[in-house]
Amino acid sequence: MEIRLDRAEFLTELAPMQGIVERKSTIPVLSHLKLQARDGKLHLAATDLDVSLTSWCEADVALEGGIAVQAKKFMEIIRSLRGEEVALTLEEPKELTITAESSRFKIHGLAPEDFPTLPEVDEASSVEIPFKDLKRMISKVIFAISADESRFQLNGALLKIKPESLELVATDGHRLAVVEADLEGAPATDGEPPSVLVPRKALQELQRFDGKGDVAYRRGAHHLSFRLGRRELICRILEGTFPDYERVIATDNDKQVVFDTRRLLESVQRVALLTGDRARGVRMSFAPGQLVISAANPDLGEASEEILCDYDGTSFQLGLNPDYVSQFLAAVETDSVRLDLKDENSQCVGHPVDGADRRYLCVIMPMRL
Amino acid sequence: MPRIHLLSDHLISQIAAGEVVERPASVVKELVENSLDAGAGSVRIELEAGGKRRILVEDDGGGLGTDDALLAFDRHATSKIGSFEDLERVATLGFRGEALASIAAVARVEMLTAEASGEAYRVRIEGGRVRVAEPAARGRGTTLEVASLFFNVPARRKFLKTPATELRRSVEVVQGYALARPDVRFVVTSDGRSVLDAPPVAAGPEGLRQRIGQVFGSALANRLVPLEDSFPALEDESGERIHGFVGTPETTQGRRLFVFVNRRLLRDRSVLATFYRAVRDEWRSDQYPALFLFLDLPPEDVDVNVHPQKAEVRFRDPGTVRGLGDVLRSGLARARGEVPAPLRSPADGPRAPLAWQGLGERSRDGAGEERSWLPTVGAVVGEEVAEAPSPLYGTGGGGAPGRPPSTRSDDAASQAARLAAVAFPPVERAAVPLSGRSGETRPFRLLGQYKGTLILLEGPDGLYLVDQHVAHERILYERLRVDLAADRTPSQALLTPMLLELAPAESLRLQELAPALGECGYRIEPLSGHTLAVTEIPAALRQEEAEKVLLELAADRGEADPEAEGGVEGLRQRLLEGLAASLSCRNAVKMHHVLGAEQMESLVAELFRAEQPYACPHGRPIVLQMTDADLERRFGRRK
Ligand SMILES: Nc1ncnc2c1ncn2[C@@H]1O[C@H](COP(=O)(O)OP(=O)(O)OP(=O)(O)O)[C@@H](O)[C@H]1O
Ligand SMILES: [Mg+2]
Repeated sequence: MEIRLDRAEFLTELAPMQGIVERKSTIPVLSHLKLQARDGKLHLAATDLDVSLTSWCEADVALEGGIAVQAKKFMEIIRSLRGEEVALTLEEPKELTITAESSRFKIHGLAPEDFPTLPEVDEASSVEIPFKDLKRMISKVIFAISADESRFQLNGALLKIKPESLELVATDGHRLAVVEADLEGAPATDGEPPSVLVPRKALQELQRFDGKGDVAYRRGAHHLSFRLGRRELICRILEGTFPDYERVIATDNDKQVVFDTRRLLESVQRVALLTGDRARGVRMSFAPGQLVISAANPDLGEASEEILCDYDGTSFQLGLNPDYVSQFLAAVETDSVRLDLKDENSQCVGHPVDGADRRYLCVIMPMRL
Repeated sequence: MPRIHLLSDHLISQIAAGEVVERPASVVKELVENSLDAGAGSVRIELEAGGKRRILVEDDGGGLGTDDALLAFDRHATSKIGSFEDLERVATLGFRGEALASIAAVARVEMLTAEASGEAYRVRIEGGRVRVAEPAARGRGTTLEVASLFFNVPARRKFLKTPATELRRSVEVVQGYALARPDVRFVVTSDGRSVLDAPPVAAGPEGLRQRIGQVFGSALANRLVPLEDSFPALEDESGERIHGFVGTPETTQGRRLFVFVNRRLLRDRSVLATFYRAVRDEWRSDQYPALFLFLDLPPEDVDVNVHPQKAEVRFRDPGTVRGLGDVLRSGLARARGEVPAPLRSPADGPRAPLAWQGLGERSRDGAGEERSWLPTVGAVVGEEVAEAPSPLYGTGGGGAPGRPPSTRSDDAASQAARLAAVAFPPVERAAVPLSGRSGETRPFRLLGQYKGTLILLEGPDGLYLVDQHVAHERILYERLRVDLAADRTPSQALLTPMLLELAPAESLRLQELAPALGECGYRIEPLSGHTLAVTEIPAALRQEEAEKVLLELAADRGEADPEAEGGVEGLRQRLLEGLAASLSCRNAVKMHHVLGAEQMESLVAELFRAEQPYACPHGRPIVLQMTDADLERRFGRRK
């Protein structure tokens, strides 16, 4: 291999690789990046076996060839270099020489054949999803994905392609976030719209993509492919059954209260300072015209805060986990939010007021304090 | 006036009854046994008010003729044995001829029985006296109805628990026989509601699996591995046979351990001790999977006449159940998905009678609780440590750890310093100052990990060995205790209820506890026979942990009563214990698990911040110390 390429462009393509590479892997090759010079391009690949990412840069290829290099060191080197151009040369099979201006590095690598073969999605037909929509949708549900690894079917979000819309759903058993946005040109299907469980890491990495245009989404037997421009992210489909979430969402929450998003978020976060590490809960006391948010902790003390609101029903109280409330409020993106409530034993359903999406809601199950 | 006089017959029979009939469940046990002895293919049990008001057991067995029907209520009237030799080889469940007499002494009893249809006979007995005996109508079989148990023994009646508790105990009894006899149909109703309905299933292992599914639900039944697979020849000339199922590692929740000897459900510690040992050997774990073990032995090898309620047996020859450990180990290996080591087949020559350790003398030592590697540590540390009053021992009563006694002379100190310099590799990590709760600082230096099990620390006054597993368990336990100590444990409602698949008696047990569980942050609702929906869990617990605790509580059989446990406080305590146990399993770092230096340091640091860092919730030591003096003595530098 003997190539020259633009350093800025190279860095742009290298950046998203970082999230994929396993930092603490016990399989050494997974901490590596694969570089392959071919057809006037340098192809890049990273994988943790569940999620992989490929991309390419334009390059002056004098001699084709490839190598796998230790990802973290390699990126540090490229980032630290001066000059607009970098040259990569393979003088010996597993020795990569990097030169730019007057700097010269020679680093050890692994044979490209040692790098795992990446899965391919051979389904030809794709669904085009505007990247800005996808990114926004991910940010609206990703916080509700369960971190409890024993409940692996909740370690991802459900992606559902409906006739004219796209839906993304996540839950950890305590709360549920559903977002649905219009989607043009979705393929018509008979019966139940197709849905698939996308692992959290894939969503996280997708969120980090940048660029305009549409993501081409394809679904294979065991893997999904998301392609945006040069980049293609391939992830393993999460197996398992997702809860029947539509049935969970309450439809009889008759008390609707509108708040200024920022004000409510800040208040909840302030009061939450006096909740413990585990078993956190704040008390939301609704009375005509006002909401009082309070917390008490035997070790720390008490806090309370009053917010004026347009509530005019009977007084009642509700316990909620402040983290769940804040994460929703931080994701909602509208100036006002509406909470739909019923009583202290019933869920709180948050909605944006005049949101960009066809539907967005976050169900938060109550606590008894 | 002589002070000694003879008791009336009536009083004698009431006293004798006390041995056999303790509560509704004992009546159910005796009647079901009689039905099975009579060759019933179907046994139906009706209970009212948990059996306190009425118990009815109906079978389709052989029935009794008119004369026998009356005789059956006489003390020592039995059709099952006739001579002392017979007693030596009892093959029936009953043999004393005492049950019906005992029951009739303390309740209103009515028997309707027929040897063939059209020849039925009704006998009514009250307080031991025959009141009515008349021809009646019924198909072949027997119906026994026992009403107003202890109506004439108020003292006994007072000791009965709530109907819910008594019901649960009766259902436990029936479940045991349902597992023992998959070929028989069992139906239980309580106040008109169906509690259990287990239709008969085919003979053989798959039938047994189906029966287990009928009782415990299919999730458990599908996670069982048959025990006898690799032992086709076990049913040898001696007539002994070991069969049944052992569960996969997913079944360690819920303590479903059932041992049957000749189809009698027993609580035999010696057999269980063999099982516990097999699990520790084979899985290197102290989490025990489900076990349904059937030992079929020639009747003359088992003495069933040692316990008034026949809850225990004695094996005539301790070597009787040869190879039980081997069978269990091979089953456990397969249950964990490993190929079993090739086993010597009995045909390969004379099978040496494997001594069955744990029988007899050792049967009461609760061998299940000990950990296999501790003796090794003990051997290294030696008796001196155990005798010397070290700060690590004797603080078991709680409170702040005591200061180590300063027994070192200056001379000894300099020797110790020399020793440390020689014995340990050069310091590469700075000592971590770990401050105890009392504020005292103990500069410990991490030396490393021993066999992925013990953390070794160099302390100011000696070498410390920390059991990483129990240490972590202790830390988690204290954390949770603080959370649960609040007046009311905050609960988190679940988006979709967590469904627990349970045996009827297990589900009844949790329903009994429902009010106390509510105080602890749980909310449960019965859904159907097998399933319980959990809609709220303590907010401090992850769903998986919350489930584990419930399953532990559900598994308490027999003695544990909500009242006896001291209500809510007692339950809270039990929840904590359940937690500690569950956390030791899943969340605490395991034995034989390699830890990084940072992980070990933070574990030790957190341990010494705990209130009680030296003993685990079960009372096992967490830290052992070898003082410098001990070391010096062992190396012959000091006398
Ligand atoms: N359901 C039944 N069907 C047929 N015969 C029965 C039934 N119940 C009892 N008998 C007869 O009544 C006799 C007395 O029963 P009882 O339970 O008192 O004694 P046992 O079963 O012989 O011994 P044990 O006291 O150990 O149970 C039995 O031996 C049996 O012959
Ligand atoms: Mg009997």
